[in-house]
Amino acid sequence: MTPPDGQDQEPQDNAGKASIDPPPPAPEEAPAEKAQAEGASTDTAATSPPVDLGPRTGGDQPSPATIPDAATVPAPAPAATDAPMTAKAPEQKAASESPPSQTGTPAGEQLAAGAPVPAAAAPKPAAERPARPAREAEPKEAPRVPPPAGSINELLANAVPGVTMKAYLVPSVVGESVAVDVGRDDLPAVMTAARDDPRLDLKYLRSLSGIDWQEEGLEVVYHLWSFTRLHALTVKTRVSYADPTVPSITALYPAADWHERETRDMFGINFAGHPNLVPLLLPEDMTDHFPLRKDNPLQEIEEWQGDNLRDGAGEGDE
Amino acid sequence: MAPAREMSSDMVLDSALEVIDMPINMGPQHPSTHGVFRMVLLVDGEKVVDVTPHIGYMHRGGEKLMEAMDFRQGIGYADRTEYLAQFSAELCYCLAVERLMEITVPERAEFIRVILTELNRLSSHFMFMGAFGIDAGLFGTSFTYAFREREYLQDIFEEVSGDRLMYAYFRVGGLAWEVPDNFVARVHEVLLKSQQGIRDLDDLLTKNEIFMARCQNIGNFSADQAIAYGVSGPILRACGVNWDLRRDEPYSIYPRFKFQIPVGNYGDVYDRYLVRLEEMRQSISIVEQALEQMPPEGPIVPEKMPRRLRTPPGEVYAKVESPRGEWGAYLVSKGGDKPYRLKMRSPSFCNLSALREMTIGQYLADAVMILGSMDIVLCDVDR
Repeated sequence: MTPPDGQDQEPQDNAGKASIDPPPPAPEEAPAEKAQAEGASTDTAATSPPVDLGPRTGGDQPSPATIPDAATVPAPAPAATDAPMTAKAPEQKAASESPPSQTGTPAGEQLAAGAPVPAAAAPKPAAERPARPAREAEPKEAPRVPPPAGSINELLANAVPGVTMKAYLVPSVVGESVAVDVGRDDLPAVMTAARDDPRLDLKYLRSLSGIDWQEEGLEVVYHLWSFTRLHALTVKTRVSYADPTVPSITALYPAADWHERETRDMFGINFAGHPNLVPLLLPEDMTDHFPLRKDNPLQEIEEWQGDNLRDGAGEGDE
Repeated sequence: MAPAREMSSDMVLDSALEVIDMPINMGPQHPSTHGVFRMVLLVDGEKVVDVTPHIGYMHRGGEKLMEAMDFRQGIGYADRTEYLAQFSAELCYCLAVERLMEITVPERAEFIRVILTELNRLSSHFMFMGAFGIDAGLFGTSFTYAFREREYLQDIFEEVSGDRLMYAYFRVGGLAWEVPDNFVARVHEVLLKSQQGIRDLDDLLTKNEIFMARCQNIGNFSADQAIAYGVSGPILRACGVNWDLRRDEPYSIYPRFKFQIPVGNYGDVYDRYLVRLEEMRQSISIVEQALEQMPPEGPIVPEKMPRRLRTPPGEVYAKVESPRGEWGAYLVSKGGDKPYRLKMRSPSFCNLSALREMTIGQYLADAVMILGSMDIVLCDVDR
């Protein structure tokens, strides 16, 4: 929404309307319009403007085909007709301003008011589309930062010598806490030490969750807390689909009883040694279907906001 | 007399009276289960020998559903999970997403969040007082008293959010919209009513001889037991553990307020009631402090907020002190706009898992009181 730039481009857009050949102006605008649009802007800008500019600069009603493209841009009027529920206040303001320009009969008005819309429309996809590959290239896993010296994982390593564990920091609401990955066979020793070692004293099992990492197997996550030492520890262990068995910690932490039953319901993780591993939340006979595994896709929810807009919608700053 | 006695003893010896433990079914449709909950009590006379709770009647696969909802849609589902402390659940979910996205919430939004969350604690505890009175045999009196007060609070929530039950008012980064102009005045007005309501219930219940007789020394839990069973919230504090996430692992702006944590001595049902009663007074104090310190105007969402929320990959375990205890959200993200996995650690679920341990050895009639004292929300148990 930068009218000064757009007004400069009026004549060029008119030319674009006549010849349906606007790519030349668009790449020029793109770098000037948005600082964040870097090198990749030229090719995407070359592809998008023909659809945007052609019909709309003519002052005609936009054809349906152009509406989704227009929706990628916060400013133009057609967005309001397509997704009225999703339009936020600034958009609606912009939308209510621009329709007169499109319906107005005098040619001079059309040019003056109508032109900024495509001028702004052309560079914005150019600025946003290149940002997409950058997002795709985001790391799929969070970087694992090793905890600083003197953290709780060293106490744990002292308490259970010989157990290999990988320690790293995970965020908690304020600050960070330590998580350790341990092997399944080491879990009882680790949990016993965590509970009984006076330096750890992690007697409170906050939560026990299962996670389905698909090809990387199933994971069980234990959140522990110590009321005396005031420190937290997250213990994680992974098992394969072929042998999803984890030793039960119910004997150590009675709180794990229902959590383990729930995790068995949802992920099919078999907690060896659990006294009563029958379905808890699911029906009694539902022992062969694990709803929270990722191979049970949920029926697609009709997206009333996100996917009605095109890719890249709403990613820019408002 | 003597011959008669011989006769009767002969009769008993001959018939060899068989004594078995009798299973008694309670629920799933039972007024004392506060929802759709079933337990099978094995009784020996009047003593409970074993309890088998059956849950899952309300299981809707909420955690799976949340995986298909983007981060803003998930807020609405948090309401539907914890439908008596909606703001606590919303707050927890928002905290988790905000932590992953590293968003700082504007100050005014934080104050409004705290005010609403504490008012929500009041309304939730009013609900407990009313329902618990019915469990104790007071019939409608406490219920009507408490629901009148709860109604005043719900009016405020409705004025703010537009809905009586499913508020969905918090947003990642702040709030959905600004509160009404008369918000501060209305909260002050309702706080006065709530104070009177707390006094009414206090007068009605606390020193009521029958109520005391029904509550004291049943369902006792020691601090060690409570910790081992993962109990949280007022039940944990009633057991003597001086622990409140608002003070001890503070989130939002709770460190700015002065409040006290009530702690019980016996860990019985009566202590749980007393802890909740005092918590209500402390909540009023927090709301009053917040109203005093709240900036009169300012932004309620951060200036730079993307319209589509995307988190970087990572995980976070967020937790808040809901009226029932520690409401936790373990959010795992692989990047993108939806959670890869969301575990809702609901206090009702964890507290209810200790029911068996609390009830065994008690009288059958007290099992109802023990269940009532847990103040469970079955939607939150089953998710």
